[in-house]
Amino acid sequence: MAVPAIQISGLKKSYDDVHALNGVNIQIEQGQFFGLLGPNGAGKTTTINILTGLVRRGEGESKIMGKDTVKDYRFTRSQVGIAAQELSVDWFFPIEKLLYFQAGYYGIPKQKAKLQIDQLLDRMGLTEKKDSRLRQLSGGMKRRFQLAKALVHDPNIIILDEPTAGVDVELRHDLWQYLRDLHAAGKTILLTTHYIEEAELLCEKVAIIDQGKILKEGTPKELTRELGQSGITIHLSGYDEKLIPCLSDYSYTQEENRLHFSVDDPDSSLPDIIKQISSCDIHIQSVESSSSSLEDVFLHLTGKGINQ
Amino acid sequence: MNWVGLWTLINREVGRFLSVYKQTILPGIISSGLYIVVFGFTLEQRISHIDGIPYTLFILPGLIMMTTLTNATSNTASSMLQMKLLQQLPDLLTAPLSGLEISLAYIIGGTLRGFINGLMVMLIGILLIDMPVQNPLGTIGFIFLVSWAFASMGLLLGQLADTWDHLATMQNFFLTPLSFLGGIFYSIKMLPSWAQTISFFNPIYYMINGIRHTILGVSDSDPLISFFMALSMTILFSLSAILVMNSGKKIKL
Repeated sequence: MAVPAIQISGLKKSYDDVHALNGVNIQIEQGQFFGLLGPNGAGKTTTINILTGLVRRGEGESKIMGKDTVKDYRFTRSQVGIAAQELSVDWFFPIEKLLYFQAGYYGIPKQKAKLQIDQLLDRMGLTEKKDSRLRQLSGGMKRRFQLAKALVHDPNIIILDEPTAGVDVELRHDLWQYLRDLHAAGKTILLTTHYIEEAELLCEKVAIIDQGKILKEGTPKELTRELGQSGITIHLSGYDEKLIPCLSDYSYTQEENRLHFSVDDPDSSLPDIIKQISSCDIHIQSVESSSSSLEDVFLHLTGKGINQ
Repeated sequence: MNWVGLWTLINREVGRFLSVYKQTILPGIISSGLYIVVFGFTLEQRISHIDGIPYTLFILPGLIMMTTLTNATSNTASSMLQMKLLQQLPDLLTAPLSGLEISLAYIIGGTLRGFINGLMVMLIGILLIDMPVQNPLGTIGFIFLVSWAFASMGLLLGQLADTWDHLATMQNFFLTPLSFLGGIFYSIKMLPSWAQTISFFNPIYYMINGIRHTILGVSDSDPLISFFMALSMTILFSLSAILVMNSGKKIKL
């Protein structure tokens, strides 16, 4: 059997008194599209930063292609391309030059990097902007540049930390398609996200992390079958905190004017939920009921919404 | 050793300061030229000679040294802090580069900036006041050595600093005063004995007198001591910067 692309066991990390990771175990096979799903502060970024060498490991093991990420860092880092959540800023060089620098850090000389860089600039729609500085790019272009930078040395494993955070719908769909293409080409992908839809659409396997621990791991189908509940989504004309006591009997997530309830039987729960909302003088715009989703699984496991 | 990675990062560092030469090369030349014109030519009416050397000529080696070490220090310190603050450092820390390779690239970049600045001021001296250089190879070698020492120190400061304020404090309250008190504009023999004793604890005093010896053949300190002081600082700061880089202190969580 092939060695796992990523293997993490008993990983712990503390910052002063805060336990960021409390014994994380993850195994990602070669060629797998894996999603690490969790709210902000759950430990997703700390986990991948330990893998890539940005954060010093506390206790436990972290291996890439069977090699230790600390002892064999030259090998393990050469296998990984990372698109960080935070966008870097460079005032001095045009973006094409930055890609050549990035290739050089991975030991690829300029002549050898040229073809890959030209192709990436083209695929990301950045060829016309290759002489621009980063500050001259739009937010979406910066995000695409970030991905190009991660791929410049043609890594086997791609780690994407919230790759679609803050991008518009069109770009998000474009990036998703590109990630599917990379996966089809045999790349192992580790994606951290707090967009549940993203994990559900793209990932073959998902681990749900909260408070530095993996709560559950499996394919999205397995998880929804085992833990999911049906859902009711209600769009309001406007959210008001006076709803909180009215809905205290229900498990739900709230994103702006959208409420998502996890329930066993939507048909019997729906009238009462509508009644409760109406009793708080909140106007309902639309109602949808849906079958079980990862969002329900997440709510079931953590008792809170992913953005809470 | 990742030679391509090292070469790439050196290229980046040198390209960075050359792309803003109006901030990194020209100011040293202009301010040294002004020192020569304003300090030298005006004060030369009052202080004609020190150690048998015309005053303007006497101050030039010190100006070369001050420009060299200020530029070498600020290049590495500001580049490292900038990379930390602008989220560029993760690109290096996640690449297959060792702490030694990253440190060397930064130090070489800073050394070249200090070296180029030092040579430019030396050229100004030769062009403006016909400065004789008694030991050209010794002068060039000494500028390079001091530039390396202070580029390493700058890297160490850049790694440990969290804000621009930290760097400015170092520059304004330590580096600049120590340079001025190191004997750029005077011989320490002109000072009272207690002040002379204090000067012996100022490392920049040895740098200034070391280069003065290679250019003019006169020096307050023994040239051998100046050389060993520069060499010791080079080794000490290089090792410290590399060790801090390897440890990840202040750059990794």
